[in-house]
Order: sequence, then C-alpha cells, then structure tokens
Amino acid sequence: MSEFLDQSTPSSAPSGFDFSLSHRNATLSSDSKSSINMVAKKTGTTIVGTVFDGGVVLGADTRATAGSEVADKFCEKIHYLAPNIYCCGAGTAADTEKTTELISSQLSLLRMSTQSPSRVVTACTMLKRMLFRYQGHVSAALVLGGCDISGPHVFQIYPHGSTGKLPYTTMGSGSLAAMSVFENEWKENMSESEAVDIVQKAITAGIFNDLGSGSNCDVTIIRLDGTVEIRRGALKENPVEPLRSMINRSSKFTMGKGTTAVLKDTFVKAKKGGEEDMVTD
Amino acid sequence: MANFIGVAPTIPSSLLDSHITPRPDFTTCTDPSNFLIPNVTDPAFYCRSNFASASGDKDAQQVVKFAKGTTTLAFKFNEGIIVSVDSRSTMGAYIASQTVKKIIEINPFLLGTMAGGAADCSFWERNLGMQCRLYELRNKKRISVASASKLLANTMNSYRGYGLSMGTMVTGWDETGPQLYYVDNDATRLHDNLFSVGSGSTYAYGVLDTYYRPDLTIPEAIDLGKRAIYHATHRDAYSGGINNLYHVQADGWKKIHAIDVNELHYEFADEKNEMVA
Amino acid sequence: MSILAYNGAAMIGMAGDNCVGIAADTRLGAQAQTVACTFQKTFKISDTIFVGLAGLGSDVQTLSQTLKFRKNLYELKEERTMKPKVFSAMLSTLLYEKRFGPYFIEPIVCGLQDGVPFLSGMDLIGAPVFTDDFVVSGTCTANLFGTCESLYKPSQNPDELFETLSQCLLASVDRDALSGWGGVVHIITKEGVRTRELKGRQD
Repeated sequence: MSEFLDQSTPSSAPSGFDFSLSHRNATLSSDSKSSINMVAKKTGTTIVGTVFDGGVVLGADTRATAGSEVADKFCEKIHYLAPNIYCCGAGTAADTEKTTELISSQLSLLRMSTQSPSRVVTACTMLKRMLFRYQGHVSAALVLGGCDISGPHVFQIYPHGSTGKLPYTTMGSGSLAAMSVFENEWKENMSESEAVDIVQKAITAGIFNDLGSGSNCDVTIIRLDGTVEIRRGALKENPVEPLRSMINRSSKFTMGKGTTAVLKDTFVKAKKGGEEDMVTD
Repeated sequence: MANFIGVAPTIPSSLLDSHITPRPDFTTCTDPSNFLIPNVTDPAFYCRSNFASASGDKDAQQVVKFAKGTTTLAFKFNEGIIVSVDSRSTMGAYIASQTVKKIIEINPFLLGTMAGGAADCSFWERNLGMQCRLYELRNKKRISVASASKLLANTMNSYRGYGLSMGTMVTGWDETGPQLYYVDNDATRLHDNLFSVGSGSTYAYGVLDTYYRPDLTIPEAIDLGKRAIYHATHRDAYSGGINNLYHVQADGWKKIHAIDVNELHYEFADEKNEMVA
Repeated sequence: MSILAYNGAAMIGMAGDNCVGIAADTRLGAQAQTVACTFQKTFKISDTIFVGLAGLGSDVQTLSQTLKFRKNLYELKEERTMKPKVFSAMLSTLLYEKRFGPYFIEPIVCGLQDGVPFLSGMDLIGAPVFTDDFVVSGTCTANLFGTCESLYKPSQNPDELFETLSQCLLASVDRDALSGWGGVVHIITKEGVRTRELKGRQD
C-alpha cells in the first residue's frame, strides 16, 4: 500500500492506510449528536464476465450512486490491471478504483522483474490477499478476466477475499438479473459474437431490473491472440441527449448579462510563459 | 397509516362535551376527545416513537418527518400587544416554504402563533377557534384569553406523551385588557409580558431583552418586533422568509406588515452606515 | 446529522467554451447557528486550477493548505506545472490514504487543461467522477443538480457562464437552510481569473 503514502515522509514510515484521523472522528461522533454515517459513492452495479472459445468478455453497467442520487451516469467499471487482464468492480467506488489501481501497479512491477506477461491467477491471488487482509472493510466485489499462457480465465472475488474460478459469473446488486440470462443462454464453446451478445443481454437485464444499475453497457473483449477491444458504451439504451434536447426551454431560462447582483468584481491576469509562482497563503 | 381507526383515547370524562355526539369525522368535530388514534395496545408510545417531532432532530431516523423551525415572538406593552413571526418551514435542511402564515387568526380578537409541528399547531388552533365560537354561542359573550388558552392547554394535556409538537402564544384583548399566554405540548400554560418561541428564539430574546420597555410607542414597538425577528432569521438557519407582524388593540387585532427579511438586512445595514458617518 | 453537513456548504463547477467556473456559498455554521458569512471554501491552486472543498470547516482549511503544499512540492521536484488531471488524482489518493479515518470533505476540482475545461468531483474517500458539463457538492446536491440540469447549456462564454453559475447557486441555496448567506464565483479563462462576490439572501 506504499503508493498511498505521502512521498515526502521518510521511508521508515509505516505503510498502509493512515488511521491518524480515526481517533478525532470517533470523538467527533461521540460528543456531538451528529453521527458519522459514511455516504461514500457506491457502484450499485451489474458486472459480468464469461469465457468463450477465443478469450474472455467482460461487461458492466455505467451507473454510480450516492444514496438515492445518481452520482455519475457514465462511469467506468471495467478497470485495467495488465495488458491482458481487466477487472470489473462493484461495491464502494473508491475501493474498487484504488484496489485495482494498486494491484495493477504491483503487477507491472512484477512483469518488469520476471520479464514475462502477467497471469490471471496471479492477479487473483494478489487481489484476494489484499481484500482478506482488510476483512471485508475494503468493499470491492470483483469480476476478474483475462487471457494468459494457460488460456482464458474468469474469476469472481468477494470483498472478504474468497474467490471462485468459473466459466461465467455475475456480481453486484444486479447479479441476479444478469445471472438469469447466463443460466438461460450460456453454453460451452461459444463464438466471440455469441459471448458479447449474452454479456450485453445480461447487463441490460441488470440495467432494467435493478435500481442500483443503469445507463449504458460497457464491454471489454480480451482475446487469446493478445488483442483487447474496449467498447465504451457498447449499448446505449438510456441516452440522455435526446431527452435533454426534447426539453423546450423558455428564453427566460437564459440569464441575461447583469441578472445577478454583484458586490465585488476583481480580475487577476494569468502569468505568462507557463512559469508558475509558488502558491503561498 | 391505514390502520388508524376511530378508537377514543382515555380522556377524563369531564373533558367530554355531552352536547356533541362523538363522530369519527374529526375535521368537523370541535371535541378534541374525538381525535383518531392508532389501534395498538399503547397508542401514546406508538405515536411518541413514530411521530416524534417535539424539537431538534428527533424525527431524523423516522419515516414521517415534520415541517418545523421557527422564530416567533410576542410582547405586551402599554398600547397593546405586538406579535411578530418569520415564515420559514423546513424539513431537515430542505426549506419547504418561505411563505408560511405562522400567526393564526383564531377570531377577530384572538391570535395564536405557530412553532413546532406545523400540522399540530394549525390543526389544534383551528380546533380552538371552533371551541371558542361554541363558547360564544352558548354564553352570548366573547371568551377570555385566559379561558381560550386553558382550552388549548386542556387539549394538550389530554394528548400528553403522544408526541404532539406545539409551542404557541395565545394573545388577544378581552374584558380584562390585552393578555398574553404561552401554551405548549407538555400542557405548560404561562402568563407573562414577553415570550419568544422556536429555534431562533434565543436570538430574538437577545434583542427583545435589550430594547424592551413597557412604555414603547406603537412605532417603536413595531420596530422592535421586526428587528428581533430579523436578527433571529439572520443567525438561525431554520428561520427566515417574511416578517409578519400584528398589533393587538382594544377593537381587535390589526395586521401591520409583511416584509421580506432580506430587505430588512439592507435597511438595517444602511442605518448602521449612517450612524458611523 | 452527518458531520459532512455540520457546517453547511453548496458548490458547483461548470464548463463553458474555453472557460470553466466554480461557484460556492460563504456560510460557516454550527448546525443551526450561522457563525460566519464570509468563509472561504474555494481555493486557487494555480492560474488554471481551482478546488472547492465542501464539508467540515476544519478539514476545509487543513486540506486546502495540504493541497497547496503538495502542489508546490510537485512543481519543485518535477520542474513542470501541475495539470488539473494530475491535481485531481493527487487529491483522490490523499483522500483514499485516509480510507478508514477520512477527512469529511467532498471536493470538486475545476480547471483548464491545455485550454480545455476539466471538471471532477469526489466523495469523502476519493472516488472520482469526471464530467464535461457540471459537478456539484455540499448539503443541497439535490437542489444543485436540479438547477444545473435546468439552466446548463453547452459552450457558454465567460459572461454567460457566470450568470448561469450564479443563478444555479443562488436558487439552490435559497431552498437549503444550511448554506447561502452570500456567494463567490470564479471564472477561469486562459487570460486570467475573474472573481465576483454575489449578493445573496441573508436568512
């Protein structure tokens, strides 16, 4: 976890998460009536992965929520781990983001020292070890997929660190809707187009039947020949633009110059030539 | 809420008005004993724990949230009574309305103010109005402020512990002159010259206690009433909107003004600048 | 009541045509009590980067100074100016470092990256959201989303952007008890930064 640490601190500093504010926060919640209910962004999510004859297909919806609010309509839930390995994340947004980022950099260091491409099982082990260490407090539910020397692989990883190696899997709040599609239609030795089709169907099932999932469907295809195809918004079944453009806004909604009462107006010119002065207070 | 049925709470029979047949239709009923209560073994506990709105954030985790947050004040002086209030209604941090009428005109001689649960105040003060009218019809004379406030306090007493939320001032001019009472949901009933109720009351008291005199002229008293409300709305997040101000006189109450408190801010700021200059 | 809403805040970042704007209210409260009407919540990190910090007042001040320190250190070490995207990533790691004992801040980052608007928002543990239209944070995000969805138009010039931002902010805080009492808007262009203080309701 050293990546998360302040680089300016001496290297002897303990690595890992920084708990220095925990005591203050506990005091803060005990002596005032206010509670510290974390309203971290969640990815109430549908994520899926499946193997096919020539590789792996991963799929995800693109909705991020904060409580009942949609925080992001087009977020990325398929994270890069290695050139041949990608990982879908569900759970607390920051946890899935940072966990995959961290393992990705550790994998790249490992590739440099071993001079060989990363294996999917290695990524799986590194992820599960990290998640197990934090006993489920790092809440990342992952669908890991990739191709290596031993073929195409899909793993599911739970927040507590348990894993499963499966031909196809679904995770997140929309996993039940998505799994119903897989259980109904999945078969062995599918072609790429069949696999992509089934993945898109499964994600769509999550988008339409699970409130936590929504917007578009992202698809990433990792092939045995080493090529990767990232289809951002492979399916856009909930486009916002047509809806927005349907709204006929009154010209009164365009605020004319001078609408807002201003008390003070100042202008600070930008410094020339890109040379920045140090910001001081 | 569907299982609310017309079971009468255990109210002393002395409170029950024998002239009126109890009916479950409480909207037309003047008898407070006919208010519907939930059909559970301990209705008081049920109401208290599910509809608590007494003050602060007791309803934060509850499904039913109440509109509340207020500054209201009233004071007696030689020329009558000034009643001055803000107009903001909040549900949590959300401002539900900036144009609430928090002074309730019970009848041409009686005023009530609204603090605490908006529904509780408006319902029971309307109910009080009906009781006062019946008193007039039966006795051929206007009810005294003392009696009117006692009727309200009695109602509050019969629902003590049910989680009602009401902090009100009942004012008016009767045979004994101008009168001012404070009544709340604990059935507290106080008689005094000066009250302020609500989340912004501490700020209002600061201004009132500094400048209050019994011999204020009418314009001075009106100015004090709006000044106290302005300062409360400026500092209290849950007060704001419009300052409504009434003057209670011998021939009944008169509405004096309804001013946006934001205009008062700049009016008072200009005043200060002039004083400095 | 959440610590995030203890002091109250409302802020918006919005993109325009070769310009970007950030607007914030100026209230600092202690729950219902308004303590100050001139509290700074938006901070200039460089000529092209502004950060808005909504949340606990003490963390606003701590974090603003830490961010300036980190940005200065980066520029001394790397001998190049920090870009908004880099600043956003730095802030994100800074927040995630304290995953289990977080700063109670939900920040927004507004900047110009090679003359193009950059906007990002984060939760209190640094999960970033990148947008190309607007980003909001504070105690009345529902209100802010509503006003921004209604008034936002793509490709506004700096003057139009200012009016839209101001009206979105003022309309939102007028329906929120915990924010308001004045506002400040910065419009960032290649030429420089225009800062305007808004006349807001004082209740």
